Amino acid sequence: MNAYFIKDTDFTQFLGKMIEAHKVVGPKAKKTRFVFDQIKKPEDLRLDYDVTILPPKKLFFPPRQELVRFHGQKASSCIHPEGTILFGVHFYDIKAIDMTDQLFRETNPDWNYLANRECSTIIGSNIQNVYKRAFFSSVGKGVEPKGHDGFITKISGGYVYDAITAKGKNLLKFGAFTDATEAQLTEASKANKEVLDKCPEKLNNESLEISEKVRNQFKSPMWKEFSEKCFSCGSCNLVCPTCYCFDVQDNWNVDQQTGVRERTWDGCLLEDFSTCSLTGGHKENFRETRASRYRHRIMRKTSYLTAKLGGPACVGCGRCAGACTADIADPVPVINRLMEV
Amino acid sequence: MACENCNCSNMYNENIFMPKEAVIVRAEMATATEKHFTLKWADDSPNYFEPGQFVEASLFGYGEIPIGFASSPTRTKTFDLIIRVVGRVSGALHKLDKGDTMLLRGPLGKGFPMDKLRGQNILVVAGGIGLCPTRSLIQYIMDRREEFKQFNLFYGARSADEQLFLDDLANWRKSDDVNYHETVDRTSENWRGNVGVITTLFQKTPISQDTRVIICGPPIMYKFVLIELDKLGIPHENVYVDLERRMKCGIGKCGHCQINDKYVCTDGPVFQYSQIEKLEEAF
Repeated sequence: MNAYFIKDTDFTQFLGKMIEAHKVVGPKAKKTRFVFDQIKKPEDLRLDYDVTILPPKKLFFPPRQELVRFHGQKASSCIHPEGTILFGVHFYDIKAIDMTDQLFRETNPDWNYLANRECSTIIGSNIQNVYKRAFFSSVGKGVEPKGHDGFITKISGGYVYDAITAKGKNLLKFGAFTDATEAQLTEASKANKEVLDKCPEKLNNESLEISEKVRNQFKSPMWKEFSEKCFSCGSCNLVCPTCYCFDVQDNWNVDQQTGVRERTWDGCLLEDFSTCSLTGGHKENFRETRASRYRHRIMRKTSYLTAKLGGPACVGCGRCAGACTADIADPVPVINRLMEV
Repeated sequence: MACENCNCSNMYNENIFMPKEAVIVRAEMATATEKHFTLKWADDSPNYFEPGQFVEASLFGYGEIPIGFASSPTRTKTFDLIIRVVGRVSGALHKLDKGDTMLLRGPLGKGFPMDKLRGQNILVVAGGIGLCPTRSLIQYIMDRREEFKQFNLFYGARSADEQLFLDDLANWRKSDDVNYHETVDRTSENWRGNVGVITTLFQKTPISQDTRVIICGPPIMYKFVLIELDKLGIPHENVYVDLERRMKCGIGKCGHCQINDKYVCTDGPVFQYSQIEKLEEAF
């Protein structure tokens, strides 16, 4: 039996002890919204969050990450991960992390990402409040969240803790956990099930159907219509938990002798993302129109990666919908309309 | 905090972005914009690439650019890279000379399918700088000529001044091992050869229907060459295209080179035409 219970009154002490022993990152309030940040006091942890501004991918794949340090033309590697406990991740973000794990591992394993990932412990938590743009219950229903080490669910009087891996069990020592009762388990599973009915948005079709039909709509005139108001700002890419495109640039330090080769987040909605420089100042942009870039993002989420990932590369967090200035990034109305054709 | 929970520490040195040093043994301007570098690995390791593969070439502080091998691995001591000056990275690399070190990451990508080309009639259609990556295959065929049947090579440049590998061209014109045809888009005073786009060369020589065709050139060229191949009835499974896209990582992660669901850097840069002709973003 791997399921435990901890009382509300003991939970603060558990968090305190864990924070004392480890670097813990979890959801924290930032003005009216939430962010994943280091938790330094138990009361900072806000397991009642709806969604964070940025997904937790930033821990493993930071917005700016050094790849190689150089001194003149001599190089040194800079893979030095810091063991972190990522505490309080909703199931849709767990699914997304599992996808980026697979994508960074396949073909050419990228240890700049994987080392950060392997050194972390991921503890999921149930969704207590649902984001106003979320649609996680109707996307990739067949894809089980996996790759996390434990999962905590709020029930009356305390929390049920499912310690999945050895890393997850390691945390038991910090708190007064008891074996969960049958009734407590039932209550937890009910909480996790019921939240699925609370999504404000819903895809009308199954992911596999969507994958095929959307792919066949490549030449649809609707892409132009959908993207008419796009500012090509890339916000939808940056807040997406499954977007992982990046740019690589060299930067000198002020001494002009040392520097870093580093990667920064990039996005396929940005105008120059696919532009090749040619001689004489000429350029060739392989996705020149807003419609082609907009379509690429939707296709990446619905269709292109389905065979590889076994489901869509979208988890229904709703962050893109909330981040888009023109409010055109939400995949739900777009996919639902394409499916009606 | 030390990492107590996993056994990842032995993996930290496997940094896929770490380049390797290569020493420049010869460097000369090939045209006004292209510099021809002949290199060898600084640690004297042998050549271990396939024709059609590429490297990310760099200098620290400037960045990386993808460059195809321009020589065949059958030439074991050194290898060639041709760098066209375009921007910051290529500009910095152009300043390098004999004895200097260049940083390379690779070999990367999927090259020409030699097992499918061996024993066949071959046609290489190279436009402009497209002759550089295909030269890795051309040299390979010339070095192992007995392994291939008829070998046709079409090369088109914008003008005689922009022709690359002048020594090679002189040899190919005379050689019995290759049926070489060339053209330029714009003629000049001392040009005596063909004038016109590369597709005009299809009238110069018969190409049999069972030929395996390799195409590499500027994006616009593919469409027109493919029309000619259709006229000849060459099946699309027997046509290979070597594609260029913006690339950053070269290892199938960063997303820049995607054509629909394919990554040019890892699924290509050489693709069997039949496998990508349905991809809307390929041509």
